[in-house]
This record gives sequence, structure tokens and C-alpha cells, in this order.
Amino acid sequence: MENDNRLRHHMKTFYRILARNRAKNFVIAILLLTTIFGAYQYDRARRLQNHLNNTYNRAFHELVDYVNNVEIKLLKTLMTSSPELTVATLRDVCQDAYNAANNLSRLPVSFGTLSNTEKFLSQVSDLSQSVAKQTARGVPMTDEQYNTFLSLHSYALELEKSLNDLKNDLNNGNFKWENVAREKEEDLGEASEHMPVTFSSLDENFSEMPTLIYDGPFSEHMLNRKALGLTGKEVTENQAIESIGRFLGKKNINNVTKVADNNNGVIDTYNFRIELANRKDHSVVEADVSKKGGHIIWYLYNRPVSEAKIGIDEAKNIGKKFLEDRGIANMKDTYYLESNGVATINYAYTKDGITYYTDLIKVKVALDNGEVVGYEAKGYYMNHTERNLGAPKISLEEARAKVIRGEDVKESGLALIPTNYGTEILCYEFIGKLQDKDFLIYINADTGAEEEVLLIINSEEGILTM
Amino acid sequence: MKRWTRNFFILASLLIIVSVIFVPQKTMGQNTSRVSDVQLLARAINGEARGEPYEGQVAVGAVILNRVNSPNFPDTIAGVIYQPGAFTAVSDGQINVPIDPNSTVVKAAQDALNGWDPTYGCLYYWNPETATSKWIWSREIVVKIGKHNFGK
Repeated sequence: MENDNRLRHHMKTFYRILARNRAKNFVIAILLLTTIFGAYQYDRARRLQNHLNNTYNRAFHELVDYVNNVEIKLLKTLMTSSPELTVATLRDVCQDAYNAANNLSRLPVSFGTLSNTEKFLSQVSDLSQSVAKQTARGVPMTDEQYNTFLSLHSYALELEKSLNDLKNDLNNGNFKWENVAREKEEDLGEASEHMPVTFSSLDENFSEMPTLIYDGPFSEHMLNRKALGLTGKEVTENQAIESIGRFLGKKNINNVTKVADNNNGVIDTYNFRIELANRKDHSVVEADVSKKGGHIIWYLYNRPVSEAKIGIDEAKNIGKKFLEDRGIANMKDTYYLESNGVATINYAYTKDGITYYTDLIKVKVALDNGEVVGYEAKGYYMNHTERNLGAPKISLEEARAKVIRGEDVKESGLALIPTNYGTEILCYEFIGKLQDKDFLIYINADTGAEEEVLLIINSEEGILTM
Repeated sequence: MKRWTRNFFILASLLIIVSVIFVPQKTMGQNTSRVSDVQLLARAINGEARGEPYEGQVAVGAVILNRVNSPNFPDTIAGVIYQPGAFTAVSDGQINVPIDPNSTVVKAAQDALNGWDPTYGCLYYWNPETATSKWIWSREIVVKIGKHNFGK
């Protein structure tokens, strides 16, 4: 009994103490909760960090492997004698260099650090592809190309060495990805104490790379193209405003302000902001007028478009008339795309039965009231010029005989098509079917070579080629 | 006693703030359909150039597409957009903000894909008021559109 009483007494005292310190206890409980919460968050962050590091490690190790392959196969290519093996090896180089570039772009280095290395890998891939095509056509590698590959190999060897040094550093724990992202030129000094090779110094090896010119989209000559279709003299700002008046109709314009000079070196322009007349809101049109000749290069009028009232055929005619009224004749609609109630229609120049897919103008027609809400003629002004194409060296029948696949093959005339490296090829165009899909087939009108096969995609959104 | 209550409230509110910051936020409206190139490009434009003039939005889309066609950059739209450190809107997650299919940024993305390029092949842009990288200033300015400088 006495024990019981004493216990009860103790319990009472305990409760009293608890009650007296209620606020303190609250605080203790909250501190405990916060600690647990913090520990949980820390663990989660650590696991995420590991996951990230693993993805970076994978990209890096794959990069090293692919670059090793590129280095070996570049040399192998130069040892092959038969066209079959040369082509196969070149295709390997192309793919490995592509994969190397792909992994390179996943590394968490500060933006721009590996730009030259990326370019080197892209060009190796692109050039190998181009020489593989040439070899498959039966034209062996030239001496010049041989020497280019030798020089590229020495760059690949250098890259391989630097990457292997970095790999050792990574394996020895000398650097962490989270620090690499912060590697900048100003604090290079500190970083290089531990690391003989850094990503920046690796990239510098490529800054003096010789320029590569070949039949590919990444060839250096593609960067310095000049506009062939810009006719006329230099115009002043006021003359450019006059051009806009003629193009959009003076009565439709409230005022025009020059926003900027665009000296891009391709087509230098004045950039204008145009306020349309008689609009409550959404009255702004943006446009570029070339300094040479005062041509409208593009304009955009962004406004909400209500329910469609006109069909695509009518829109095509509106676009054609729009171009004719502005002195741009002989344009044929090719493909189009519909989105948000606006049809973007492509027009190609035609002359003497030849479609010039190089000289393109795009016209945007709003399908609610048929208003032209956009125009883009860069392709036209870059390429449109008098050409001396000459008569095709092979006949239509000879070209037709080259197309052996597909059903219902029909010819659809001559076409000048652009290559992805800035040249133009005169071709016979054929339309054929396979699996209920339409295809465009282009046969070189001089050599009979099959230059291009395009799939026509006919969807609700429009007609496109791929 | 009063002091304790006050401290309690301070601590409690701190805990609430901490949990708001650190507890993962659910991404809204993740739809199951394949995010097409237009969507991805539009989201990037939304994160980078929302509030810019229409031309400036098309220009940001065009820069992304110019990078796809440049040897110095990855050669897919996703590759360019998600390249580490390339865009702040990707680093801070703004790229994941859902957008209305009828919004201006979608139209701008579509125009950029259709070939409108107010920058004539530019590969970089920066906001002169907020750009922190010294390196970006070494680029020659081709054109200013809205708040952004564009360069090659």
C-alpha cells in the first residue's frame, strides 16, 4: 500500500512537471521532427546525387570508348583497299563519332566548354558519311581526302590521350562532376593543380583545327553562304518603309517604326514594328526589309484566329494571288501545314516545266477570313538567280528505267532540288506507291543516280515530305 | 510562458516554410500523349522568352533550331534543350510548366519550325541586364530583339 501511494505520488509529481513544461516539450518534439525530416531529405538528396553521377559517369565512359573506336577506325579506313570494306569502316567511324558527340553533350561541363570538341566529332562523322557515299558510287578516296583523314586521326589520338588522363583522374577520385560544372577559365589555376588535363584545355586542342570543306551539312562552306537572289541597290530606312507600304497596302498601316538594324552578314536588314490601322487590339506586325534592294524578307502578324471559314484550296489561291500582286510570278504551291487555324503554304518557283524546290516562299493564310498573316522569302532570296541548267543528259525513259521499286510509278516533271550541303541537282521527279504511301523519287537528270527518296505524309495537319 | 509560446510559433512557422521549400512538388497535368517537338520547343520558348515580343519568341525558337543544325551542338531538339547549362529555364524546371495548346508560344514554336528565323542563323542570345557569363559578351551582337541580344 505504502509503495502504491509512493508511486502515485511520484507519478503526480511527474505529470505536474510535464504540465509545467508543456511549451518546452513542444519545442523538443518539433526539434526532433525537424531532425528526422532533415535526415530524410539528406538521404534523398544523396541518392539523387548518386543517380546523377552515375548518368554522368556512363556518358563519360561511353565517350572514351567511342573516341577510342574513332581513332582506331580512322586509321583502319586508310588501310582498306576494297570499296566494300572502306565503306563499311567509314560507316563505323561515322556512327562512333556520332555517338561520341552525343555522349559529350551530356557531360555537366559549363556551357560552351566543349564546343570545339563537339564540332570535331560532328565533322568527322559527317565527312566519313560523305566519303562513304562517294566510295559507294565507285569514286575512290582522293589524295587530299587521305591527308585530311590522316590529320583528323592525329587530332583523335590527342583527344583519346586527354580523355584517358581524365578517366584516370575520375577513377582516382581527383575530380567530382559537381565541381566540373563550376570549372571556368578564371579559376582554372586552382583546378589544374590536381588535374593536368581539364575539359577546357582538352577543347583548346581543337581551336586551331583546319577548316574542312566537303559534301556535308557541317562543312565549313555552309557557314559562309551569300544571298544570290537579292537584286537592286542599297536602300535607306525611308525607302524600306515605302516598300512596306507597297507590300501591305498604305491604307492598312497606321505607323511604322524601325526597331533595329540586323547586320547578320547573310541578308542585312532593317527590322520594323508596324501598327495596322482599324484594329482594336492585336495590331502589331513585325517585319524585316533587306538593305539591299528593299525586299520584304519576312513578316509576321500574330493575332487570334476564329473558326475556319475557308478551305485549303481557296487559301492556296489567296497565297498565289498575294505573291503575283507583289510581282513574284510563276510560284507553284507544293506542301502545306495547318495549325491553330492558319495554313502555312510553301510556294516553289517554276519555269519551263522545272520546279525549283530551292527558291521557296512561305505564305501564312488565316482560315477565318483569308487574310495573309505571315510571309517568309529567305529561301527565295538566298537562291533565286538565272541558272544555266542545260538540257538533261539522259531521257525521261532512261530515268524511268532506274526506278525499279514501287507501284504506279508516274513521272511528274523536272525538278531542281537542294542538297544539304548547299548545291543544287537537276532531277526527274517520279511519284510511286508502297504500302499505300506515296513517295517522291528523284533521279539525277545528268547521271541517272538516285539522289533522293521522300515519303509524302498526308495528315489532317497538312502535306509534308520526309 | 509567453516567451515559450512565441518561440513555439516561430519554430512551427519555420518548419512549415522548410517543408514547403523542400517537399517535392507534384508536376501538374502530365498528360500521357507523346510530347512532340512543337510542344517541347514551345515550353522552352515559354520558359525563356515569355513576355517578349512575338518576334523575340520566334527568334528564341529559331536559335534552338539553328543549334540543331550546327556542328558545335547536339543534333536533336531535345539534345539542344537539355544540354547541361544551356538554358536557365531547363535548369530551374520552368520547362516543365504546362502550356495551353492555343497560346502564343505554341504559334511561335510552329513558325520557327516552319522556317521563320529573325536571327539569320544566330546560335546564342542573352539578356544584357542579367547575363553573368563574361564569355557570352565576347560574342558579336547581330541583332537586339526585345530584351535579348542575339549573336553568332
